[in-house]
Amino acid sequence: MVSARLLTRSEAAAAPRHQEGALDLARRLPSLVASAKELAASVMHGVHGRRRAGTGENFWQFRPFTFGEAAQRIDWRRSARDDRLYVREREWEAAHTIFLWMDLSPSMAFMSSLARQSKADRALVLGLATADLLVRGGERVGLLGMTRAIAARNIVERLAEALAIADRQMRGAGHPDFPSDEPLPQRTQVILLSDFLVAPDELARRLKRIASNGARGHLVMIADPVEETFPFEGHTEFLDVDSGALFRAGRAEAYRADYVARLAQHRERVREAAREGGFSFALHRSDAPPATALLALRGRLEANVDIGAVA
Amino acid sequence: MSLLPLAFSAPLALIGLALLPVIYYLLRITPPRPRQIPFPPLKLILDIEPKDETPARTPWWLLALRLLIAGLVVLAMAGPIWNPQHGAASGQEPLLVLVDDGWPAAPTWEQRLKVALAQVDDAARQGAPTAVLAASEGARDPVLSDGSHTAQRLRALKPVPYTPDRMGLIAPLEHFFAEHPRGHVAWIADGLALGQTRPFAEKLAEVAKNGQVEIISGERSPVALAGAANEASVLNVNVLRATKDGPLQGRVRALDLKGVPIGDAAFDFAGATETQARFDLPIELRNDIARLEIASEHSAGAVTLLDERWKRRRVGVVSGASTDVAQPLLAPSYYLQRALQPFADVREARAGVADPIDALLDDNINVMLLADVGVVAGLAHDRLESFVEDGGVLVRFAGTRLAGSSDDLVPVALRRGGRTLGGSLSWETPKKLAPFDRASPFFGLSVPEEVTVTRQVLAEPEAGLPARTWAALADGTPLVTAEHRGKGMIVLFHVTADTTWSNLPLSGLFVDMLRKILAVSADTSKGGEDASFAAKQQAATLAPLSTLDGFGALGPPPSTAKSIPANFADVAGAEHPPGFYGPPDALVAVNPLAPDAKLEPADFSGLNFRREPLNAGEPIDLRPWLIAGVIAFLIADALASLWLSGGVPLRRRRAVVAAFVALFTLGATAASFIAPVRAEEPAQQISPRDLESVLTTRLAYVVTGDAQADEASRAGLASLTRALAARTSLTPGEPVGVDPARDELVFYPMIYWPIVAGKPLPPQNAINKIATFMKQGGTIVFDTRDALASRPGGPLTPEARWLRDLLAGVDVPELEPVPQDHVITKTFYLLDGFIGRTTIGQTWVEALPPEPTDGTRRPARAGDSVSPIVITSNDLAAAWAADRNGEPLYPLVPGGVRQRELALRGGINLVMYTLTGNYKSDQVHVRDLLDRLGH
Repeated sequence: MVSARLLTRSEAAAAPRHQEGALDLARRLPSLVASAKELAASVMHGVHGRRRAGTGENFWQFRPFTFGEAAQRIDWRRSARDDRLYVREREWEAAHTIFLWMDLSPSMAFMSSLARQSKADRALVLGLATADLLVRGGERVGLLGMTRAIAARNIVERLAEALAIADRQMRGAGHPDFPSDEPLPQRTQVILLSDFLVAPDELARRLKRIASNGARGHLVMIADPVEETFPFEGHTEFLDVDSGALFRAGRAEAYRADYVARLAQHRERVREAAREGGFSFALHRSDAPPATALLALRGRLEANVDIGAVA
Repeated sequence: MSLLPLAFSAPLALIGLALLPVIYYLLRITPPRPRQIPFPPLKLILDIEPKDETPARTPWWLLALRLLIAGLVVLAMAGPIWNPQHGAASGQEPLLVLVDDGWPAAPTWEQRLKVALAQVDDAARQGAPTAVLAASEGARDPVLSDGSHTAQRLRALKPVPYTPDRMGLIAPLEHFFAEHPRGHVAWIADGLALGQTRPFAEKLAEVAKNGQVEIISGERSPVALAGAANEASVLNVNVLRATKDGPLQGRVRALDLKGVPIGDAAFDFAGATETQARFDLPIELRNDIARLEIASEHSAGAVTLLDERWKRRRVGVVSGASTDVAQPLLAPSYYLQRALQPFADVREARAGVADPIDALLDDNINVMLLADVGVVAGLAHDRLESFVEDGGVLVRFAGTRLAGSSDDLVPVALRRGGRTLGGSLSWETPKKLAPFDRASPFFGLSVPEEVTVTRQVLAEPEAGLPARTWAALADGTPLVTAEHRGKGMIVLFHVTADTTWSNLPLSGLFVDMLRKILAVSADTSKGGEDASFAAKQQAATLAPLSTLDGFGALGPPPSTAKSIPANFADVAGAEHPPGFYGPPDALVAVNPLAPDAKLEPADFSGLNFRREPLNAGEPIDLRPWLIAGVIAFLIADALASLWLSGGVPLRRRRAVVAAFVALFTLGATAASFIAPVRAEEPAQQISPRDLESVLTTRLAYVVTGDAQADEASRAGLASLTRALAARTSLTPGEPVGVDPARDELVFYPMIYWPIVAGKPLPPQNAINKIATFMKQGGTIVFDTRDALASRPGGPLTPEARWLRDLLAGVDVPELEPVPQDHVITKTFYLLDGFIGRTTIGQTWVEALPPEPTDGTRRPARAGDSVSPIVITSNDLAAAWAADRNGEPLYPLVPGGVRQRELALRGGINLVMYTLTGNYKSDQVHVRDLLDRLGH
């Protein structure tokens, strides 16, 4: 018989084990993606040359000094070769900014006997591993609504620390179901890790708002296997995690078909909401290894970068 | 009253059982608490219409468990009692407890007493007067008294070893019912028809018209023994019971007169009421059997006593030949004696008796053998005739006298007179025997080829001759004929009992034939022998010697036991309890049951009596057990409910089960471990020195406490050890000093004991140890070291006195100075004596058995074992003692290397003697043996 439980608050909070799990996952990933080397190689991570002059490290071109420019921009070494004045231009370089949001609401603290981890654990591990991967690739990563984007080597610790602080501040209030819906600047990517057991309309509204300035994003829906299959039988009393509502089923198996239909409908609407907001959508079950989800997520991130580079 | 011996003290509470259906209904509609599961996506289905809300049913087994608990609670409240006691009495009417106290009641006597006491108690509680009447008490009027008096009388009752006749009880019962017409009688019956049960019961029903009679009888029938018969090769005894209670096995034990078990025989009723136990034992053992008893049944009826009548036959032998025959092999009685001795008591008339036949008949013989007696006449003839008529067996052998003339005590008419020369026929070729006819008692015996008959007397051919023929020659001529006469019979061998006419008396067949005849005689003379016995001792009576009590134990006879007449053939009764009667050397057994007795169940049908089973089980209050059961079931229910509502997680459930199993196993093993652990505690510590002594042979000396003597012993034995290792195949370990009081001596083959006179004697336990050591085959060499001080015939030296005191408590064999041919002088070296520091001392060993007188001179003699003691005065150890370099330590008298060498040789011989015993004395025969083997 399947059993399920909710993690306590302390269990659900971000903890060193998530850091370790994330670091471990991120460290292991290169070996896991050996087969996806081409995909990785085709995308230059990190500081991307924009093939135009701008702020950057690399030489782009010398151009004749135009009058009125600041004199300190003159490259005297080049100008000494002949009698004209030259200005050294550098190629414009810019790093991507990626914001993460990991749902830590009570419903994420659910774990069944079929799953490997609770949903919250899985979200944290996935999110932090993505952060580590991205920072190692040269991107800047931040927590949506909590930290600015940073590119520190110890990004996992930093983010975990921030999460822990937020968790402590939010003690008693509970984590929100939705990310903050501040519009993000263009070319910023956002990764939302959640079970998305929320009203799809509200979700669609918020996603639209986040993307209103041209940001893009990815939804990763984390689901417990029990939530997928509804393997309950007999006299069962279900407890809603968020609202505390009780649902007593005389014979739980009678509700299975309805539940599965409703779940599919809900998924479809979430997917629709994502599509409207220009977000990608992926489903990840917590009985699957996290590496597969990470690999898929990385692929989608890189695809977006490509798109961005072309634009 | 009911099928089960179950009663309730508060039967009204059983109405509560009617509530069970209600409980069932209630339990059905209140299922166990559902499992609670947090479920995040619940929102998705929260708005679904509830469907099929029928709650899951309570599992049937949980329902059954709870109903069981409820039922048990109700039952416990009703106060159930197992084995309730119902008294016969009710109200104030007096109760008469009638107790059958014959032997059938003995096996269940305790039970009967309990039941009787319960009856009395019950009556006493209700205030009714009570009385007790035992069946053996006969016409004594019962005295009504209160409960405690009656109980006392009951406890004083003991079963009697016979079955009393109950008809004697009718008179007191009549009196009882005359006084108390509505009285009660509780008859604790033994359930057997013995003792006129049915007539008595009918009479009782008649007497107790207005009263009430309750019969309490057990279902299990007593088992009894009757009719033991010592037959040809087995002793059979009938095992009886009254009812066919299904299969019942048991063992009958045979004991001799002193109560020593002789054998066991199994019996198996297998549904019948009668079976047999067979003792297949040699006749000598069977003759010793004086008592048969059923091993598990303690009653007089389960015992059968055997006396002379069951023992081997007494055979008288009379020979017609002259009694002054100097050569025993020529006397016919010699062959008969030798053939009959193993299994019969053969008697011959004393020499010089006027009429040997008459004298033997006075001896109460069973079988009379007449070898070549022609005519028996006069008084002897009449007595012999009546002997046969009364069941005796007369066996006659032919011969020249019988062939000449015979009397009428022969089975067939014999041919005689001038027609046949000498009345016998001479054969040209000796005739062989024909196989035995089926009708013959000899049937089954094999006929050896070598038996031949050269002469015989011939029977007149007449009608009925073949029927009387037991054995015939190959051509059909009768060889053994027999005829029943009265209760007995006459058997005639047509040949002599010696070897003059045939070699039959030399064959094993002769022995077998005589044995068969004895078996036949045992069959014929059952009753008749008693009669003849009685005829002679008409007036004599036999006093009881020891009698059985009701439980079947032999003891001194009660004062009421009377002597039996010598011809007593009845079963035991009140006046003649079963047991042994008569003088100790001619016991007559009286048994509680006739040989052909049968046990039959009592028949109470058609009588208006209340029947109660004899269940003397203590009433058991079942309430505590039920409540314990309820508690156990409640715990089980709680665990089941917890499990059903998912209170115990799946993984932990296994752990819980494992923990319970482990707990039970632990408990069980702990209980079984406690005893062995205790048993192992006092394990003895074995000192390392003893351990080493076990593994290596080593010489030992007794530590006397005198440092000089001990050092001399140690050094001497060490040097002897070196010499042994160098010269012989024995390599002893380091010599060791022992203290007989403390150390275990058993490891040392030889202990050297220098005597130091000044020291106190060792304690008694040390002396005992020395004695045991010597008995077990060890040798102690006592060295008084006083050869220079002692004079022959002079006063004892202090050392000699000390040794004498020491050995005062020891069983010392006879001693002698070492003889020249003693094996001790030849075990390794050929020596003349044992010399040490001095040479003049004498050496003593156990005296040998005297030399054989057959003249053969042997070079060496030895007893059957090693001499346990050797006493010398030559101070051997000092002569042996040498340091590591072989330098002697003590000066010798008179001295010299040769003396030292001889002393060492003596030591080696001593050690070899203790280790090899008389081996060397046997060795002297080797040459003879080899010579014999060679030729």
